[in-house]
Amino acid sequence: MKLTEDKIRELSIQAISELGSNASPDAVKKLVEEKIRSSNDFPEGEMNLSSGRVILTSFGLNTTGIVSSISAALSEAQCDILDISQKIMQEFFTMIMMIDITNSPKDIKDLQEIMKSIAERLKVKIYLQHEDVFRFMHRI
Amino acid sequence: MPYEFDEILETIKMTEIEHFDIRTVTMGISLRDCADRNISITTQKIYEKILRYAGNHVKNAQEIERRYGISIANKRVSVTPISIIGDAFGQEEFLKIAETLDKVATEIGIDYIAGYSALVQKGFTKGELELIKSIPKALSQTQKVCSSVNVASTKAGINMDAVNLMSNIIKETAEKTKERDSVGCAKLVVFCNAVEDNPFVAGAFHGISEPEVTLNVGISGPGVVLDAIKNAGGIDFQKLSELIKKTMFKITRAGELIGRKVAEKNNVPFGIVDISLAPTPAEGDSIADILIAMGVEDVGAPGTTAALAMLNDAVKKAGLMASSSVGGMSGAFIPVSEDAGMIRAVEKGHLSLEKLEAMTAVCSVGLDMVAVPGNTSAETLAGIMADEFAIGMINDKTTAVRIIPAVGKSVGDYVDYGGLLGRAPIMPVRELSSKAFVLRGGKIPAPIRSLTN
Repeated sequence: MKLTEDKIRELSIQAISELGSNASPDAVKKLVEEKIRSSNDFPEGEMNLSSGRVILTSFGLNTTGIVSSISAALSEAQCDILDISQKIMQEFFTMIMMIDITNSPKDIKDLQEIMKSIAERLKVKIYLQHEDVFRFMHRI
Repeated sequence: MPYEFDEILETIKMTEIEHFDIRTVTMGISLRDCADRNISITTQKIYEKILRYAGNHVKNAQEIERRYGISIANKRVSVTPISIIGDAFGQEEFLKIAETLDKVATEIGIDYIAGYSALVQKGFTKGELELIKSIPKALSQTQKVCSSVNVASTKAGINMDAVNLMSNIIKETAEKTKERDSVGCAKLVVFCNAVEDNPFVAGAFHGISEPEVTLNVGISGPGVVLDAIKNAGGIDFQKLSELIKKTMFKITRAGELIGRKVAEKNNVPFGIVDISLAPTPAEGDSIADILIAMGVEDVGAPGTTAALAMLNDAVKKAGLMASSSVGGMSGAFIPVSEDAGMIRAVEKGHLSLEKLEAMTAVCSVGLDMVAVPGNTSAETLAGIMADEFAIGMINDKTTAVRIIPAVGKSVGDYVDYGGLLGRAPIMPVRELSSKAFVLRGGKIPAPIRSLTN
């Protein structure tokens, strides 16, 4: 969250009135920092609730070990595979996974990096996109 | 799985193969509280305010790009028309503001900052006149600053004095940036019925009825529409319209999602989605190619205007359904230099300035990124603009002229800017004089259409 000067001022005034006569510059600074941290957590957490589900799409020439490499990396990152659907069309491999990254210590950016290295190794394409984009495009 | 296999693949195909991207996320920032009698205080306030709101604009937009796998081509900022906040200033002071805008834009890493503008459809204030006179210098001394001047509207008519002034300003801007193919003119738009929440440069500004800060998004995606039409084959017009609508619906929804998320991340309110179909110079990302896929042999063939009208209408209908906050220009763009198909049509001699003008009557936004010979007279430019604004004024729509009289170039030459601005062949201009007409001066009165009450 971005902090405006007004917001910082507001938090400082709050902190001073809460501390009352104990308000020393250090104490005020500490309390304001705490407030900023806690107010920061809130929108992040809220965002994560809706941003837990990610769609992973992979396609390319079929080789052995695509599913296992991807799922091993996901399990290592503590991602939950909610659904998986895979097809071979001619020699073309296509897989779509819906994964839940809420409990993962990694965010979508980290996972994209991990998948990038796997994609290079297996010579397939792997895309990770947040679920919302599919919901917005295909559901009214 | 809550989504069909095909639905997911369709989205991937759009983003990865068909060049679907968000053209721009533009943060509009009001600078009205930055006005001060002292120029250094004014520039300081402007600098700080833009930094405060848009400091993380690029970083936040990039994060959203990654999360949704949809790229955002440009990150921009638009500001209150500078003539309004600096009405007491002279040219030198306005130039300082332009420098400040350029400096802060470079620092925060955005692509363009727009709003070095004036709204003079009914007449000039002293400050507006000074700002307009400073435009050639401002655009030649800065990289990212874009300028626009509104000289006509349905309510006020056409301010022909402003048209004549602007034709000279355009010539002067071309001259001042002649060593770079007159690139200054690519950053200068003259408008009729300018809109206040347009996210597209060079014509963007943060209108006076807009809130403190807002985030507007402009979508793109001609490539997606093109592929859909190509795959559909020879279906009839109703079915074709339906197909375009379905495709645009999805694009607009994605645009709204991205806009809202970038706004959320920046902690500013979301404004509008501009549902214009904006091309890029990339092959396949072209409005011209859509028209050809619809069945005309090339842009400029009889039927082109009808095809464009239908495309534009279908785009709007789909966009309206998909988003609750549609605004800006919202129509198909036909900039010549930014569209590979349009460039080709001009090269082959299929597309003339006159046909282009007719096309602008049914779409947004006007004669856009058109290069003409450097020896085109100011009066002829004024005539071209007057024609374009007459279309806008009478039809109650936005029209604009972004024309480049490329110094030292003639028909057969090119101007080449690279990037999103692209390259344009110099188009021939009719050598009949408009001088005695445009130099009458004064205003063309507002049309009967302005009396709607």
